[in-house]
Amino acid sequence: MEAIIPKQEWSVAIRINHWAMAFSIFVLIATGFYIADPFTIASGETVDKFFMGNVRFVHILFGVFLVFIFIWRIYLAFFSTFHADWKDFFAWAKLGNFWKQIKFYLLISKEPPEHTHLYGPLQSLAYGGLLFMLFLICLTGLILMGAGYHAGLTAVVYFLLKPVENLLGGLATVRWIHHILTWLFILFIVVHVYMAFWYDVIFKEGTISSMISGRLFRKAAH
Amino acid sequence: MAILNDSDYQRTVERQYRELLARCKTHMKEVERTLPEPVVDFQTLLKERGVSRRSFLKWTSMMTGLLMLPPIFRPMVAKAAENFSRLPVVWLHFAECTGCSEALLRTSYPNIDDILLETISLEYHETLMAAAGYQAEENLEKAIHDFAGKFVCVIEGALPVGLHGKYLTLGPKGKTGIEVAKEVTSKAGAVICIGSCSAFGNIPAAKPNPTDAASISGALGINTVNIAGCPPNPINFVGTVLHFLMFGALPAVDSLGRPVWAYGKRIHDFCERRPHFDAGEYVEEWGDEAAKKGWCLYKVGCKGPYTFANCAKIRFNDAISWPVMAGHGCMGCTEPGFWDTMAPLEKPIEDKTIGGESTVDSIGIALTGLTAVGIAAHAGLTAIRHREEREKEAK
Repeated sequence: MEAIIPKQEWSVAIRINHWAMAFSIFVLIATGFYIADPFTIASGETVDKFFMGNVRFVHILFGVFLVFIFIWRIYLAFFSTFHADWKDFFAWAKLGNFWKQIKFYLLISKEPPEHTHLYGPLQSLAYGGLLFMLFLICLTGLILMGAGYHAGLTAVVYFLLKPVENLLGGLATVRWIHHILTWLFILFIVVHVYMAFWYDVIFKEGTISSMISGRLFRKAAH
Repeated sequence: MAILNDSDYQRTVERQYRELLARCKTHMKEVERTLPEPVVDFQTLLKERGVSRRSFLKWTSMMTGLLMLPPIFRPMVAKAAENFSRLPVVWLHFAECTGCSEALLRTSYPNIDDILLETISLEYHETLMAAAGYQAEENLEKAIHDFAGKFVCVIEGALPVGLHGKYLTLGPKGKTGIEVAKEVTSKAGAVICIGSCSAFGNIPAAKPNPTDAASISGALGINTVNIAGCPPNPINFVGTVLHFLMFGALPAVDSLGRPVWAYGKRIHDFCERRPHFDAGEYVEEWGDEAAKKGWCLYKVGCKGPYTFANCAKIRFNDAISWPVMAGHGCMGCTEPGFWDTMAPLEKPIEDKTIGGESTVDSIGIALTGLTAVGIAAHAGLTAIRHREEREKEAK
């Protein structure tokens, strides 16, 4: 038997950030789909009902939460004392590795690419894309929130983002882009979860548990 | 920054308003000195039409409130209304349907806005003037010359830019719309775009826009005040002109050139059906039980949440009704490019079609399904390979 050495892979901050983001995204997708296409609550008096109001409250609450989680994640990418990983988002730039990774994923080659960065070449692209999607959905979300609330920080943010709204062609288009991005998030989640399990099965290093414990179990020879 | 307490704040605000009032009074005196005498005596006209003094005062209160001015400005609004007919107006028509003129001038029983618009001193208005041909052209040239820098140029309709503007030629000299617009706006004291066509291009500029129609500000590169709407509410036009008469300047506008006092908030923010939106009570199809109860029209395509306008507050036709009150959702006509961006007009924005029948949701579901199939195939193949390897190892 080879020795198995636990290796600290993720800091506490990254793990909290990951799960907070995941939870927020799930809540936002569920509430978002209700806001996009609500069902009618027919029974009861109007005065006693506030379902859409509550759903929107939760959506906006977690939306603002996501904005701060996103800002925190960007901060960690540059200033984390454990592992500032901003360079790792450019792992795809090693094109030889990129090609090897594709062949490995398509089960053509059995040789995984060299482990040069924290993320693999395709992984870095996907995570970079996720951060970009987060940026866009936060931007469109803040515009949609600001259109209805005219006080405090929201008003300031909306004033700053109004040119973006005009550039995109009004709130209707902003809303549509927001909706398209939701589907991109769903696609990301499906692939991301599958790939995490796949890695767990293929490499047997505890990929799934690493996002909870923070440790990967590397074989000494690896 | 010093934080003012309540009474200090009050005093500051009051002082600012008093200064503004003083400026307004000086300007009104200047107006009375320089502009021609009123064509008609407005008060006599009101009496003739059976509008009482009381109704007029109520109307001034409303206009003052709408313009976001305190009650001390009421006498100035009344005076501006009396001076309304002194302001020379040149009204130009380009690529449009004249619906805005119709909305402003036609009425079954006239209210104060309509009577006010009746007194408007139109030096040139292609639909309404008696003159034709060279005579009309002369009127226009005379008006531009006599009132240079003082008249208000009201523009209805977009400008076709394609073919050097030759999609639209006007008058006996066959000038293009762009030439006429350039000539008139360069001499105007202010340019007011009435309707979404002149403000944003609207339907003439809707996809595929064969004539390359553009808004006035887009085609000429000038600043305009945009009274958006298809058609706009007459009150928004009247208020803007009153503001011009009172202060000699056009009101504060938002980033799209629309007066903030009229287009500062969304339809959705003041909608009388909003409580039904928040309660989760929606009309599912036309004429259902919910429609009879007056529930929210969000699911039958109301675009109120994306539309900045004051329709919900002031309504149309002497505050009798407005689209959402009448039972159809807002179409978002005060927003740029509404014909394209607000489509489909009777379905929520998520049901916008992409290349035929598919919507974001149907494409999203299909892609997610494809991904799931791909994952299943990949997992299956991985498992087969794994087994092969294990068997090899076992050997």
